[in-house]
Amino acid sequence: MALTDVRVAHKEEPKHAPPKRPKFWLHRFDTKTFPYLMIAPFFVLFAIFGLFPLIFNAVVSLRHWHLIDKEKNGWVGLDNFTKLAGDTDFWDALVNTFGIFILSTVPQLLLALMIANLLNRKLRGATFWRIGILLPYVTPVAASSLVFAVFFSRDNGLANWFLSLVGFGQEQPLDWRAGTWSSWIAIAVMVNWKWIGYNALLYLSAMQAIPKDVYEAAAVDGAGPWRQLWQITVPMIQPVVLFTVVLSTIGGLQLFTEPMLFDENPAQANGGYDHQWRTISQLIYRVGWSDLNLGYAAAMSWALFLIILIVAGINALVTRRLGGGK
Amino acid sequence: MEQFGRRALRVGAAGLVAALAITGCSGKDLEGGNSDSGSSQITLKVNFWGDMGLDQLKAKYEAAHPNVKISLNTGEYQAQHQDLQKKLVAGSGAPDISAVDEGFIVQFREQADQFVNLTDKGAGSLESKYLPWKWQASKSAAGQQIGLGTDVGGLAMCYRTDLFKAAGLPTERDAVSALWKDWDSFLQVGKDYTTKTGKKFIDSATNLFNPILSQQPVGFYNEQEQLQMEGGPKVGFDIAMKALDAGISANLASFQPNWDQGFKKDQFAVLACPAWMLGHIQKTAPDQAGKWDIAAIPGGGGNWGGSWWTIPKQGKNVDEAYKFVEWLIQPEQQIEVFKTVGNLPSQPALYKDPAVLDYKKEFFTNAPTGQIFASTAENLKPQYLGKKNGPTRLAVENVINRVGQGTLKSADAWAEAVKEAEKAANS
Repeated sequence: MALTDVRVAHKEEPKHAPPKRPKFWLHRFDTKTFPYLMIAPFFVLFAIFGLFPLIFNAVVSLRHWHLIDKEKNGWVGLDNFTKLAGDTDFWDALVNTFGIFILSTVPQLLLALMIANLLNRKLRGATFWRIGILLPYVTPVAASSLVFAVFFSRDNGLANWFLSLVGFGQEQPLDWRAGTWSSWIAIAVMVNWKWIGYNALLYLSAMQAIPKDVYEAAAVDGAGPWRQLWQITVPMIQPVVLFTVVLSTIGGLQLFTEPMLFDENPAQANGGYDHQWRTISQLIYRVGWSDLNLGYAAAMSWALFLIILIVAGINALVTRRLGGGK
Repeated sequence: MEQFGRRALRVGAAGLVAALAITGCSGKDLEGGNSDSGSSQITLKVNFWGDMGLDQLKAKYEAAHPNVKISLNTGEYQAQHQDLQKKLVAGSGAPDISAVDEGFIVQFREQADQFVNLTDKGAGSLESKYLPWKWQASKSAAGQQIGLGTDVGGLAMCYRTDLFKAAGLPTERDAVSALWKDWDSFLQVGKDYTTKTGKKFIDSATNLFNPILSQQPVGFYNEQEQLQMEGGPKVGFDIAMKALDAGISANLASFQPNWDQGFKKDQFAVLACPAWMLGHIQKTAPDQAGKWDIAAIPGGGGNWGGSWWTIPKQGKNVDEAYKFVEWLIQPEQQIEVFKTVGNLPSQPALYKDPAVLDYKKEFFTNAPTGQIFASTAENLKPQYLGKKNGPTRLAVENVINRVGQGTLKSADAWAEAVKEAEKAANS
């Protein structure tokens, strides 16, 4: 039945005399209880920091909890969700979130694949490159976002300096924060910069497990590097691709720190003066901590949770199909 | 069945042990040392933003009270208020003493049960010392007093004498005040400055909107909590639009890195400044000492900002915290804060005190800051700030900034502002 039952002391074993009581207790503890004790911390932590907030959030989302409209406090059923359905702010934020999500996830995973493929070859100083690619991931996201916020600034930003080198924006520098697309691109760059290396290393570790003779056989049959990548490597690391797709879906739809710190005044959680790049997480923060409408913010959080479940499911399905999987 | 029951019990027990292991040790650490008052050491955590002139005062108080240590935690204006709000909801973690600004006092006044009612601690006797409106603003509908006023804004216009001189404008403060009797003449001066020098005149249009709004008898909301966009907000909005159309604004977001850079790079020549702004200018551009001066603001008085000291109920040392706050708002300390950072006291008796009245700020070309700000603060008719004032102001500021960015035409902006403000009012 359970794993632990395999090692249960056999009662009918005649070789040993029945063990003395304390020793027997210790043995039982070792085989029966100890494994549970070992895995318990995760489940306890998950219950405290994962499950409890989720359930609590669901309860709050069914209530009116406005910090300065206290008289209306109480159960409202699905009112918050009905309001959500007609709230243009929410749907605008959803569009922004998906826009930035696609702009970041697709190039991110493709580039990670290419880089992993390069790193998988015989290279001089392979370890150096492999560690180097992970460095952006190690950088705290708040720190890198602040640097990028300066990088994309209107008046003295490096990004505009690069653009000016190719003769763009001579008379009027590009205000990255003013336009929808420019702000989306700027944020997608931050996300990509951070996660490409991380995903590349995941891919690389999976690629290392592919037997070399498969490639040799393919080479003999006349398959070039490009064909090898798409017809051997990708199908063979498909589980990892699936894993990264689901992971980046969850991360991408919860995007918060980057768009938050891209704002000129982060604490306002504006996502641009016209909310051009306000993501759902940011909107939740704004509704909760600026408008002080906690019940409604909780409803938004739950809606986001459901959306992520659906999108992650679809993505997993599509990836599996594309990879020609089972 | 029996089997299952025992197993479930074991799993539960294992979880319990782990949970105790996690929480057990941390609980002990948190309690340490601080729990009983009297002879033992107490640390008072004080949260605020910018510079409230507490550095020297802290040392003074600690010297007089060896068992009290003051820990000063400054942060970003909005972030500090949001942090306090989160801690109030969470039920723990709030500082012993927290500064709350005018823009947020309504929000916290509505949650008065989360704060120590200072009248219970004997603050009632202080009421007569305060400007009446300052005392009222931090009092809940049920009569709980949650804060003791630290300072009031008052209003004036700070300007750069060196930049004015370079543009051929007068530099002496009375002559400058005479340049702008009203906001339209102010805009005209701005246009002249920009045409002559090619540089921007003001830092941002929102920093025109806010002081002008605060000069109006009615702000975003009337006392029945109804949105009043056609009153005060419209006046400020129109002038902000004119400034943007005239191209005299550097469009820098206040209190952000680019704004601070703007000071250093001479990106603007004037700045609407309430008393507390003086401290910020000195801190941001220390090498501009003697280059700044203070003139009257167009449109007369008005108040922008000003704070209170509050004591969240969840603190462990509320009595010690109150003692410190009571000490902080005594005339002697208030005057010292006024001298170091420029914050104007909210007790009118001090406006007649020679220490305030005769004080001249060297950094601002020896401007008599006491006289300038005290006169505007005393004659002030306070504006009612509605419950949703904060979000509404943010929404309208966003619209102004969109015009500044060039993504919205000034002609369409008012309709948009009304729409956004209504949304915020219903949030």
